[in-house]
Amino acid sequence: MNTLNGFQAIVLKEFMHLRRDPTTLVIALMIPMVQLTLFGFAINFDIRHISTMIVDTDRSAASRQYVETLRTTDYVQITKYGQTSHDAEDAIRCGDVQIAVIIPPNFGRLTSLSLAGPGLPPGRLRPQVKVLIDGSDSQVATQARFAFVKPSIGAVEPRFDFLYNPDMKTTTFIIPGLIGVILQLVTVSLTSFSLVREREMGTLEQLMVSPVGRLGLMLGKVLPYLCLAMVEVVLVLLLGRIVFDVRVAGSIWLLLLLSIPFGMATLSLGLMISTIAQNQAQALQYSLLVTMPSILMSGFLYPRETMPGVLYLFSFALPVTYYMEILRGIVVRGAGFADLWQDVAALLILGAILIAISTARFRKTLA
Amino acid sequence: MNAIELTNLTRNFGDFVAVDHVTFQVAKGSIFGFLGPNGSGKSTCIRMLCGLLSPTSGSATVNGFDIVRQSEQVKQSIGYMNQSFSLYRDLSVSENLTFFGSIYGLKGAHLVERKKQAIDLVGLGPYLNQRASELSGGWRQRLSLAAALIHEPELIFLDEPTAGIDPVARRDLWDLLFELASSGKTLFVTTHYMDEAERCDQIGYIYLSKLILRGTPQELKELPEVCPPGARRVGIATHTPAKALSALKKQPFALDATLVESEIHLLMPSDTKDESVLQAMEAAGAPGYNLRTVEPSLEDVFVLLTRKLAGPTQ
Repeated sequence: MNTLNGFQAIVLKEFMHLRRDPTTLVIALMIPMVQLTLFGFAINFDIRHISTMIVDTDRSAASRQYVETLRTTDYVQITKYGQTSHDAEDAIRCGDVQIAVIIPPNFGRLTSLSLAGPGLPPGRLRPQVKVLIDGSDSQVATQARFAFVKPSIGAVEPRFDFLYNPDMKTTTFIIPGLIGVILQLVTVSLTSFSLVREREMGTLEQLMVSPVGRLGLMLGKVLPYLCLAMVEVVLVLLLGRIVFDVRVAGSIWLLLLLSIPFGMATLSLGLMISTIAQNQAQALQYSLLVTMPSILMSGFLYPRETMPGVLYLFSFALPVTYYMEILRGIVVRGAGFADLWQDVAALLILGAILIAISTARFRKTLA
Repeated sequence: MNAIELTNLTRNFGDFVAVDHVTFQVAKGSIFGFLGPNGSGKSTCIRMLCGLLSPTSGSATVNGFDIVRQSEQVKQSIGYMNQSFSLYRDLSVSENLTFFGSIYGLKGAHLVERKKQAIDLVGLGPYLNQRASELSGGWRQRLSLAAALIHEPELIFLDEPTAGIDPVARRDLWDLLFELASSGKTLFVTTHYMDEAERCDQIGYIYLSKLILRGTPQELKELPEVCPPGARRVGIATHTPAKALSALKKQPFALDATLVESEIHLLMPSDTKDESVLQAMEAAGAPGYNLRTVEPSLEDVFVLLTRKLAGPTQ
């Protein structure tokens, strides 16, 4: 008996289900767009305009000039002025500001001294300011320190040359990753319901008494959703371009082509969940169980290399890990197929393994 | 040649024996009625024969194919109609039939031809573009039957095909089944309705996982347990059947008494006089009339034998 038997019939049937249920179709297409927009704005490491209080106890020309240079950096935004260092501490404690800069009374005098006499012992008499930083948000605290870094006289000044993403914008890095994570979320849930729903409706039993091939059934369930997934890829790329101004540096056609093995792999992952779950509620739980950790483990937010051993190994089993490389490669660095073939191969192997497991797990007999 | 042969077919679920060494044959071209109370093992047996469950021990062939080693050939050669509607509700009548036809490998002109035949047979013509969810119970069952027939199987399993549909639809469906049987198909039907059982060529009665009866309806009615020598079965009409039944059961001459529709069927020694029966009923305040000798119904047969097997407590 041909194990592919009934493939075509299943594909046509699944397309008909999709057509009959426009609500599901629209939701499936809208969810990635909404999520990309929301998360795209929410996840942002470019911390600028941190609210700052100035306590200028010197009131000299030099102190005013120093405040002016601070103001010109984008990092801080001066929102308040205080009289004493107590004002500064109070303002931080109650959350009015996150940084307070306290300029001591001798600031102007020391500034003129240090400019006049290079023979003075360094450090001791250099003008200083006290900066209070609200450390409760470490991201903000780290960024805040950049505002006060100044090249010191006599030290080597490094000159940076950023090859990609020269503006160091987070969106350039985050949006492609977000596209991968969101596509995974949607595709896994699309197929994770498919077999369970038929089991709940009683139609699976009717299929089981038919000569339908197991592989035919599995692939027939994946193909229509693959088409849907490709439409989603195009939509989220368009949205990334329009809303976040993320341009694809490499070939968009290559990106679409390489999205196919990713779609196959994640849809097969959903299918495997469908062979394990006994009802739709379980299917939902299982797909969350897989997709949520993969957001953290795929290298979407943090480099995978920093993860402890076991987790690092686990990240190799996630399709989205490889797709992340493909997306960032093509979108940010303009990579070509020759740079990415290893990731493509990994996705193809992963997809084949997942389909094989699903087919093996699905028996045409009842428990 | 037999369409189905079971030899000591057994299936356990853990410690529970759902089907216990069941052996019987179903002749080609006959209607076989498979009866028994809920939970007696009917559905388990059908599922094994359709290749949905593997037997724990024993063996069976369906259309000459072994149900374990050749389950895919079995599946290609049978039609299966489930007690609950198990086609796609969001697809139309026509789409459902196209889908199941193509699953069985029908294509092109042949598929169109087979669809037309199945639709004409069950009379679904006016509903072709209706979604299955919009059909009433009776029409859904017809659609299920059409889907089970689309690939022209010689043998069709029908698991309680008339459960939950109205009496007219039930009658219509049975007319269809007779038409199929007369065209040479073998039908394997489970049912709880005794009038449906009466129409079968052969009956198998399964009770507590064991096949306890097997024969034509007439053979079963003539069993010595049902019509013991020296005993007579009478039917008595009454307006107060419940009262009359409990009164009669207390009488020494009552070998067995059951209610069949609104009548009481009483089994009593042949020498018991009709008058003494009627007097006893009168005395109990539940007068009876129109007392006459009756043939046992299949219901009498099953009730009597089930009670006997259930033990002396009842």
